[in-house]
Amino acid sequence: MDNLKQLAFAKKGMVRLLMAASVLKGLAMVGQALFFVMVADRVFLNGASFRDIIPLLGGLLAAILLRVSSGYAIGRTGRNLAAAVKKELRSELIASFADSPLLASARGQSGRKVSLLLDAVDETDGFFSLYIPQLMQTYIIPFILLAVIFFLHWPTGVIILLTAPFIPLFMAIVGKRTKTKADRQMEELGHFSGNFLDVLQGLTTLKLYGRVRGQAEVIRTNSLNFRDATMDVLKSAFLSSFALEYISMLSIGIIALEIGMSLIAFESISFFTAFFVMVLVPEFFALLKDFGSAFHSGRGGVAASEQLAGQLREERQPVVWGRETLSAVPPHLSLNGVGFRYGDGFALGPVQAEIPPYSRAAIIGASGSGKTTLLHLIAGLLPASRGNVTVNSVPREMISEKSWFGQLGYISQDPYLFAGTIEENIAIGADRETSRKEVREAAEKAGIADMVLSLEHGFDTRIGEGGRGLSGGEKQRIALARAFLKKPSVILFDEPTTGLDLKTERILQASLDELGKSATIITVAHRLHTIRQSDVILYLDSGTLLAAGSHASLMDTFKPYREAIAVQQGDEAL
Amino acid sequence: MSELKTMISMTLRERRDITLAILCGFLAGLAGVALLASSGYLISQAALAAQMVILVALGACLKLFGLAAAVSRYGERLFSHRATFTMLGNLRVSFFGKLSPLAPRIFHEYRSGDLLSRIVGDVESLQNLLLRVLYPPVVLLLVFTSTIFFTSFFSAAIAFVLLAGLLLTVVAVPGLFAWRKRKTKPAVRDSRADLSAEAAEFLYGFRDLKIYQQADARKRQLQSFAESYEEEKRKEGLQNTFMQSVNSFIAILTTWTVLALGAYFVAAGELDGLYLAMLVMISLALFENIAPMAVFPSHYEESRQAAARLNQITERPVPETGSGQLPEGAWGLEAETLAYTYPGEERPALRDVSFRISPGTKTAVVGPSGSGKSTLLQVLLGILPADSGTASIGGRKLNSLDPESLWSRMNTVLQHNHFFYGTIRSNLLIADEDAPDEALQEALETVGLGAFSLSQEVGEKGGNLSGGEKQRLAIARAMLKGARLWLLDEPVSSVNAATARSIYARLFRMRPDDTFVIVSHDLTGLEHMDQIIVMENGRIAENGSYAELMEAHGYFYELKQIEKSVFAS
Repeated sequence: MDNLKQLAFAKKGMVRLLMAASVLKGLAMVGQALFFVMVADRVFLNGASFRDIIPLLGGLLAAILLRVSSGYAIGRTGRNLAAAVKKELRSELIASFADSPLLASARGQSGRKVSLLLDAVDETDGFFSLYIPQLMQTYIIPFILLAVIFFLHWPTGVIILLTAPFIPLFMAIVGKRTKTKADRQMEELGHFSGNFLDVLQGLTTLKLYGRVRGQAEVIRTNSLNFRDATMDVLKSAFLSSFALEYISMLSIGIIALEIGMSLIAFESISFFTAFFVMVLVPEFFALLKDFGSAFHSGRGGVAASEQLAGQLREERQPVVWGRETLSAVPPHLSLNGVGFRYGDGFALGPVQAEIPPYSRAAIIGASGSGKTTLLHLIAGLLPASRGNVTVNSVPREMISEKSWFGQLGYISQDPYLFAGTIEENIAIGADRETSRKEVREAAEKAGIADMVLSLEHGFDTRIGEGGRGLSGGEKQRIALARAFLKKPSVILFDEPTTGLDLKTERILQASLDELGKSATIITVAHRLHTIRQSDVILYLDSGTLLAAGSHASLMDTFKPYREAIAVQQGDEAL
Repeated sequence: MSELKTMISMTLRERRDITLAILCGFLAGLAGVALLASSGYLISQAALAAQMVILVALGACLKLFGLAAAVSRYGERLFSHRATFTMLGNLRVSFFGKLSPLAPRIFHEYRSGDLLSRIVGDVESLQNLLLRVLYPPVVLLLVFTSTIFFTSFFSAAIAFVLLAGLLLTVVAVPGLFAWRKRKTKPAVRDSRADLSAEAAEFLYGFRDLKIYQQADARKRQLQSFAESYEEEKRKEGLQNTFMQSVNSFIAILTTWTVLALGAYFVAAGELDGLYLAMLVMISLALFENIAPMAVFPSHYEESRQAAARLNQITERPVPETGSGQLPEGAWGLEAETLAYTYPGEERPALRDVSFRISPGTKTAVVGPSGSGKSTLLQVLLGILPADSGTASIGGRKLNSLDPESLWSRMNTVLQHNHFFYGTIRSNLLIADEDAPDEALQEALETVGLGAFSLSQEVGEKGGNLSGGEKQRLAIARAMLKGARLWLLDEPVSSVNAATARSIYARLFRMRPDDTFVIVSHDLTGLEHMDQIIVMENGRIAENGSYAELMEAHGYFYELKQIEKSVFAS
């Protein structure tokens, strides 16, 4: 809860506004009681005429207006505070996502991150919009009321000082007991409440196995069990608010008794004072009760805030860029002991290799050996944690991001299609205005133009999220079209394993030959012929570069490669 | 309101709890009013005549009404929550009853995978329907009318003022804001949807955005979407705060009017001054009860929309199905110019698909991803309705058969097999309730999961099992069902090659006369199949035995060449 509080109190202006509005509200509450009691006193006991009390009614109206408007100001500031803090939280989250070195590779986490950005941040809302404003009021208003009560009739003040602490004390005790109980039942509750979703998700299975009939009864039983378990938790919560109401009621009762004694038995105070105190006291206890309920709405944000803090604490490793620019000619790439490590987990490198212009390099190794990580390092999607990549002897870190990515093409196994038209998805390749003619030519070279033109809306067909789906092969060809439009001088290619149609397989081969005429191509290779045709093969095993060289030289000198090829060819002979 | 009709009638079924809740709420409200009214009256009385008896009465009233208020508030909370949770249970059961005839076809029409969690969320959000929408106005009306009735004995004018306050704070203002909300609500939801979509694009497409130098622009766009979402939320929140303030202002203004009128009547001699404080206290206490109305508009709107979304699903017509019964048997399958296009898609997923699978044979359906293999299987299962052409099983047209009867004759393993929270045993028993433990254990042995204990826990959606374990468990479950036609969709794609081969070998040995249809992207081990159907682009490219296809040097042959050349070090 403390880190949320810090966030709130960092907004000094709004906190001050809350404090000022709380002071005003406290004063207005006193004023309201004062004028109200004065009217009653004058009319009832002093037999004043209606005309006499008109100014008092005016004063009461003013106090009421002040109370309502300061209350509104508090509510409004709370909302503004919540909005301001949540905007900052989201902005920080987005920045931390963008700088996370794993974002480029770890897609599995994306769903969780979306929910962090939307739901977790929203869950903290109550803390800022309700809890903090109520906290401010609880810091300020009871003391104003208490001061007035002491001034009017000090014994009442003393009674309040003696009884009021029982409320937070009691709340703390009950709250703790409820919490342990709730925690214990949480898991059980989770299963109960998950049951409905579980059955719905399994509906296909249930139907195929002819087991739907009994399920309604299962849902009913589970719902009832869920109800009873929840009621158990709620009962103790209700019991605590019952006790709370009863304690404050008892305190008010004691005070009323004491005031009555002073009024009737000792005649030490006037009706005016007695009535005044009796109006203020319930207001005092109501504030404490309000705080109790606001505390619960604030608590909801704590778990969410821990998730958020976890994300914001995550290691940030932004990729560093410089100002040098590149020409459009394929550069000479050198991997100088380059390596990457994230946390205590996977480590790659050091990798030492030379990739001359127009050459073809292949990265091979078992799955999990770090092939794609190396490709990402070369691409400048991950920061090197050791060594570096030089481009024409200039460290990649000194080159401008724009210039580097301007020369780079990347065809992954699963290219991402953005929500938009096919034309937009191809044109994203070139960082410039493109004509429909250019896009169409690129699509033709990538062998997808026919398919696109067969669609009702052609290149204006919407794809990606909310649009029509493309098959794996068609996505590959869209990625190729992007590369044809961009004309990069370095192409990184994550060769598909299997599952592509023959047409795409052929087009991929032909296109890479075509693109390779004007570019260096570095491939995470899965096809034997791609590997054989490469000028340099980098053989990775568990993050370590075991060998580098051409097919011929590896066959001569590197046994594991020779054996792997032999197994492959043995298979082929079968 | 019409959207909520079913939900309301379902809620009202919990008559006993609701009546008790309303009674308790009514008593709590009245006790609160009585508490303040009596203290106002007694203090006035004490000011006139200093008598000990008044003091005693004051103490007694405070304790009595205070306790009564606290106890009945407790009862109110208890009963209203219990009614709510019972109602949610009924709602789940009734919704399940309406959804199950639509399944599994409906899951294919709603492409978004979150349909089910949305349903669950909507059902959950309806818990506010009773607690915060239906119930507070009823209790308020009861408390107000009886208090107003009481007040009318003292002053008709003051009773009238209270009535006006009631109408404004309980009916007019919440109604007005609920109506306004209905018009403005989409802004928040739309901006949330925008933000969610943009965030997904940014995160899932980050690598491509980076390469194509769009990452910074999209990051800024994401930031601005986040801000406009928050801005909409803020506006909505401010509207709520405003309504709350308006309502409390009207409430307090009513009390002020009561005071001013009362003072006027007292001065004019029309009202005994003794009752002035009491009447004002009544008004104060009465309007303390309207706090729940502050959240009425948002909860009303939320419940209405949740109900509308749920109705949209349950009001769909139940698809007509055949009623023919299929006897037991290792049936063959036949397809004649089958075609199928997914709703909203232009390109057919299947077209002109014809084949014949003889009883007791083994058929593999292979082809690249997106070629229509799984769609074909779904059509054969009767889950997707063919647009044209016919599919038949054992000579009977598929659509003339009762789906339940059809499914009872098939052992199916789909790409996503659901496992329920429970144990291995409870998940296997779905196939055959009466199967003894030995049979279950034997099925596990067959799929190489002999090391599993039957009482081992299975998490939600089988979350504690690996992909390969889930697939093998699904095969074991299908085996236990004991039907003689097998339809398997990529049943071993996450199982290592050697294990997969041995599972197939055991399966074929144990059930030599059953009909098998296996969809697979993997081309190894197809030598033993009687028939291989090769699909491409929704069509059958080739069809024949392994030897025939390899001989033909066609599509299958080339796919096989590619598979062979894939380097696995």
